[in-house]
Amino acid sequence: MNRLISILYWVSLGAVLSFITLPLIVVVAASLSPTSAVTLQPWEWTGRWYADLWSSRWLDPFLASFRIATVVAAISGVLGLFAAYAVVYERIPGSDGLMSYLLSPLSVPQIVKGVAIVLFLSMIGLQGFLGTPALIAAHVVLALPFVTRMVATSLANFDANLDRAAQILGANKLQRIRLVVLPMIKPGVLSGVTFAFIISFNNIPLSVFLVRPGDSTLPITVINYLEYSLDPVLAAVNVASMAFILTVIFLFEKIGGFSAQLHGGSK
Amino acid sequence: MKSLALDLHPPARRRHPPQWFPIAALTPSLLVLSVFFALPMGMMIGMSFAQTETLSPTLEHYQRFFTDGLSLAGFCRTALMSLLVAISVTVLGYPVAYFLARSTTRWRAVVFALALAPELAGVVLRTYGWLIILEDRGFINDLLLHLGLITSPLPLSKNLFAVVVGLTHVVLPFGILSLMTSIQGIDPNLERAAQMLGASRLAVIRTIVLPLSVPGIVSSMLIAFTMSASAYATPALLGGAGFKVLATMIYEQVLFYIDWPFASVMAMALLLMMLAISFVGVRYESRRRSRASVSSGGER
Repeated sequence: MNRLISILYWVSLGAVLSFITLPLIVVVAASLSPTSAVTLQPWEWTGRWYADLWSSRWLDPFLASFRIATVVAAISGVLGLFAAYAVVYERIPGSDGLMSYLLSPLSVPQIVKGVAIVLFLSMIGLQGFLGTPALIAAHVVLALPFVTRMVATSLANFDANLDRAAQILGANKLQRIRLVVLPMIKPGVLSGVTFAFIISFNNIPLSVFLVRPGDSTLPITVINYLEYSLDPVLAAVNVASMAFILTVIFLFEKIGGFSAQLHGGSK
Repeated sequence: MKSLALDLHPPARRRHPPQWFPIAALTPSLLVLSVFFALPMGMMIGMSFAQTETLSPTLEHYQRFFTDGLSLAGFCRTALMSLLVAISVTVLGYPVAYFLARSTTRWRAVVFALALAPELAGVVLRTYGWLIILEDRGFINDLLLHLGLITSPLPLSKNLFAVVVGLTHVVLPFGILSLMTSIQGIDPNLERAAQMLGASRLAVIRTIVLPLSVPGIVSSMLIAFTMSASAYATPALLGGAGFKVLATMIYEQVLFYIDWPFASVMAMALLLMMLAISFVGVRYESRRRSRASVSSGGER
């Protein structure tokens, strides 16, 4: 009986892990498949779908997504850092209420935020704002609460005695912020910025309302195409964009992001 | 009082940010959220009560939501789909979470990476993978036709089944993480003690691990439910016209019918469903906390 249970356990573990990896393997295989129909002949490979990516059809939306995500990461990084500083470090009056207000967008589904923003823009006659400007504004609303929360967590978690020690040793407030607080919360800020970049780059539920022809993001271009065809070039786009995201994470990690935060958290 | 104390410092050392600085630091965030979140949300709520032509107050759109049949059906489909995903995420995630919580071998890192890797791949890539697998001319139907087990393709896509499979895959890492955290909190000595006292593996799981991990099961189901109910891309691609949920119906109302009031009502329905579920979660958590503090206080 015990044996049966443990066999069942290992089988279920294996089955779930295959369920998780199966679609990823299938997409990578499809991106290398020679025919336009994705069939069961994985023993022939071709790289031509990846070569097809180097055209304005895919480069333009990629660059648009990249631009938007960079601006969103920068804006929400700076705003989130300042907001968390004011609320957590300075403890300005009413900080609890202000924090709930800053985090309130998290409890609203993205598709609802999307409807609200597009409704707002069309009511005040700013349809011309659709495309990149509206995408940036909406993605900042989406990313800012996450960044604020991550920075606030690292501000609340770092050892306040370090700050007090610096104060006793005669550092003024600007020096303490520059030399003690900022280096201590750097991992939190960097992972917030990385996260903002990724959720903007991959976003669908907000972007779907705000793009316009000729000014669209990569995921929206892909899903619009997917509704008509399962073209293997889409598999290549997806694999390339995942590789890009992994590179971004790796770069931020190099600057001192997540693992530093993990080590900091485990102390 | 505070400013008086500051004034006692010699002027040369007084390089503090001025008093207004924190407020100035907070203002841009508050402005951005007010203009692009609070104000639009207020407009949307107002719009759901507005008469289409004259914008005078009315409940007609809510009335339409409950009486036109289609909308309420979409609401129920969304709830059913989210419930099925919540159950399958929790059932599938449990063995992986248990392994991650208890294993000390080097395989733990491998399984951890495998379980969480899909999260980095983005929703489109995974949904595309499931489309290739489940389509009429997809991987599974192709295989079964080749083997001669079926003569016509099984209807695996553009229905509830496909959406539940796709969403389960999207949400599973989050379910695994919350189950894992909960199982890690169970003292492994309890399992060892039960085993030494002669309990079978099944009895250990049924009488110790499962009951003690109920908070993890609840939070995994809540996360899965809310993530599924608000998902857009997966139901749009794997469900399509064959299986419409609130998220895809809202999209249609906005972009095809350009019916602002009715789109707002549907968005309100989705928002209220989410808030109700989060409320249940908060209530459960606070009751559990208070019970836990009472019982641990009694033991001491």
